[in-house]
Amino acid sequence: MKLRPRARHLRIVVQTLFVLVFAILFFGLAVDRVPGWVASMLLSLDPLTAVGTALADWTIPAWTWIGLVILAATAFLGRFFCGWICPLGTLQQFMSWIAGPERRKRNKINRYRRWFSLKYIILTVILVWAALGADHAGWLDPIPLLHRAVAGGLRPLWFGGMTTGGWLSFGMVAAILLLSAWMPRFYCRAVCPLGAMLGVVARLAPFRIRRTTDGSCSGCTLCLMACQGADEPLADHRVSECHVCLNCLDSCADESLHYGLPLPTVTTPTPSLDVGRRRFLVTALATAAVAPVIRATSGGKTRAADAIRPPGALDEAGFLSRCITCGACSASCPTNVIISDLGSTGIEGLFTPVLDMRRGWCEPSCIRCGEVCPTEALTVLTPEVKQAIGGPAEVRIGTVFLDRGRCLPWAMATPCIVCEEMCPTSPKAIWLEPAQVRTREGRTIDVQQPLIDPELCTGCGLCENRCPVGEEAAIRVSSVGESRDPKNRMLTTIRSV
Amino acid sequence: MSDKPTAYDVNRRDLLKLWGPAVLAGAALTAIGTGLSARPGRHEPPSPDLIPAPPDWRVDPGAAGKVAIAGGEGPRANLGRAMLAAGGIDAFVNKGDKVAIKPNCAWDRKPAQAANTDPNLIGELVRLCLGAGAASVMVLDNTCHDPARAFKRSGIEEATLAAGGTVAHQKNTGTVTLNLGGAVLGLWEVLEPIANADRLINVPVVKHHSLGRGTLGMKNWFGAIVGGRPSLHQRLDQVCAELGAAFRPTLTVIDATRVLTGGGPTGGSLDLVRDDDLIAVATDPVAVDTWGATLLDFTPAELPYLAIAERLGLGTTDWQSVTTKV
Repeated sequence: MKLRPRARHLRIVVQTLFVLVFAILFFGLAVDRVPGWVASMLLSLDPLTAVGTALADWTIPAWTWIGLVILAATAFLGRFFCGWICPLGTLQQFMSWIAGPERRKRNKINRYRRWFSLKYIILTVILVWAALGADHAGWLDPIPLLHRAVAGGLRPLWFGGMTTGGWLSFGMVAAILLLSAWMPRFYCRAVCPLGAMLGVVARLAPFRIRRTTDGSCSGCTLCLMACQGADEPLADHRVSECHVCLNCLDSCADESLHYGLPLPTVTTPTPSLDVGRRRFLVTALATAAVAPVIRATSGGKTRAADAIRPPGALDEAGFLSRCITCGACSASCPTNVIISDLGSTGIEGLFTPVLDMRRGWCEPSCIRCGEVCPTEALTVLTPEVKQAIGGPAEVRIGTVFLDRGRCLPWAMATPCIVCEEMCPTSPKAIWLEPAQVRTREGRTIDVQQPLIDPELCTGCGLCENRCPVGEEAAIRVSSVGESRDPKNRMLTTIRSV
Repeated sequence: MSDKPTAYDVNRRDLLKLWGPAVLAGAALTAIGTGLSARPGRHEPPSPDLIPAPPDWRVDPGAAGKVAIAGGEGPRANLGRAMLAAGGIDAFVNKGDKVAIKPNCAWDRKPAQAANTDPNLIGELVRLCLGAGAASVMVLDNTCHDPARAFKRSGIEEATLAAGGTVAHQKNTGTVTLNLGGAVLGLWEVLEPIANADRLINVPVVKHHSLGRGTLGMKNWFGAIVGGRPSLHQRLDQVCAELGAAFRPTLTVIDATRVLTGGGPTGGSLDLVRDDDLIAVATDPVAVDTWGATLLDFTPAELPYLAIAERLGLGTTDWQSVTTKV
């Protein structure tokens, strides 16, 4: 049988390409030669990144404006992003192709259901929350979600170890794929806030699936069996649900469907979104009421002392208004120190990046996480500002504190100088004081006891990482002294004026 | 195929309906994108250069500073005589002025314990200002103990209200960010009524302090700022002088009615309190602090902030040369 070239074949090629692009760029995150903004381009392409940051921080940082181009194009072409670009959509489609419902059941499972409007409720919550200053679109936005899931769930297979936050995100993606075996593109249809936003805009599109009313359509439901978005190509087409996958065109035996501008004989009313004005308002008001309560559980003083943000992070309010929890920073980190947070920064900090110094440390001359951050929640630094060569560093992520009860020379009459040896600042922030201590047997031995110069410490955590005292190290980084927060200081220093 | 319509047959209205919304949406997105693109976020702190410095509350910044000291007749009469010798209240407070008075009201202590400024002195000062035509007189402090208790126990709230003034503290008033412009003190939150007052009168009490050895006028400005004050004690002398440079008051009135000679700045035991019954009214904050230091038996060299303040041009440590005793 000869394969006739069809519109959907082009789509499959494009979709495959974008999955490959995702994979290549994801690996590129950790490759210094790849410019950071290129490696995170798929995240900049995501329209919800731009809209979320625009609402939360009144800015459209770096390359995220490209998402607005996609959004504008959606106003003409419909949700082509969902059907042609989104890698999570493609993976779901692939999943339902190999393991989805059998063909006879498809015309039932592909009918539109009212509860698909749940995604518009989710979108409302996210956008209202963003307008109140905290951008949480990335929790459910498929592009950041996929990046985070691979960074936290797959990357540990070849580098670093799994974290709870990481496998939770990976579990989300696994659940999404499993659900798509029951219902094709379940997530796109019912949950995805990005799809919802594109759907609202797609209602304006002059280019859409249109069915002729000249009587040629025999109502065979072949289009319904092939439909990915459950957008009723056979009835009043729901352009807000349609992924523009063009399966219906190819499947139509009567050639009664076309994608494009209206033909004279076509009338296509656009059905409503199934979110009444009242439900929309109640959702918005409820979000506005609950958001301050959730804010009270995180940020500011209630942040755990050991929640260290990556270097160059904005102050906590600015950071939460920009971070889309995509995990690009953690995927880019050469020491794998950045993990997806679960709990230590409260509900608002869910999945935001924090540093775990037992896994790695902040390499002094490395600025990769800031380079790949698509929203500049981590600002782009130069190696010089965080190295502390010749004096205190401009950018510090915290200060290290010594636990004398656990430190070998201080508490166990055992020589050890590892933290001082490792300290990368110059002069070293950790220095040694010679001392004589008595052992249990009464012998006097010479040890060198570490002391800390808090003005020089950058909080890089290499000392904590290498401390031979297992599990909880004898020297540990706390966020106090982080340069991003003028209130989180213990030292009063003379400024250079 | 041939029986299917292929030509578009649309009139202008249909064309607008078809393309209009999408074109408008595209234009709106372009406009929003251009406006917001690469702009600093609303959460980003503004440049320090754009933050104003505190105003100068002095009446005549060019005039040479003076100190007038009166004693022996209780705080009210002492204040009246010292004020008269300094030029009279009318020389400092004009009709319609908003006056802010900054006492030391930091502690939940009674007047007799001498940890706070004497309430009778504050009451009399409020009366004088209102008598000179002040539109409003507000007595305020960023206290160390719970402000409601400190204002009540010190008697300052009662005395102020009885005299016709109002009180405020860090829990019921806002702050504004000002650039204090020092080498240590940069941007700080300052109690809003102080920043917006036309006239500012500093009314410290002479006390021993565990770190600064003596707490006088310039240390008293700790109560005008809000934020991470505890870490300022690492460089207390520099900070006191910089506060003196940032806050140039109309008058400094030092309360030495009772002097806390030990256990400061909180005190507590009445054994630590000495009755000196002295009030000084000054337009030279350095000279009057130097005089206050002598009450605690300190030479100027023992309070290094005085030398720093003198170097910053805030006044003279040669207090005798500018002082009149009445």
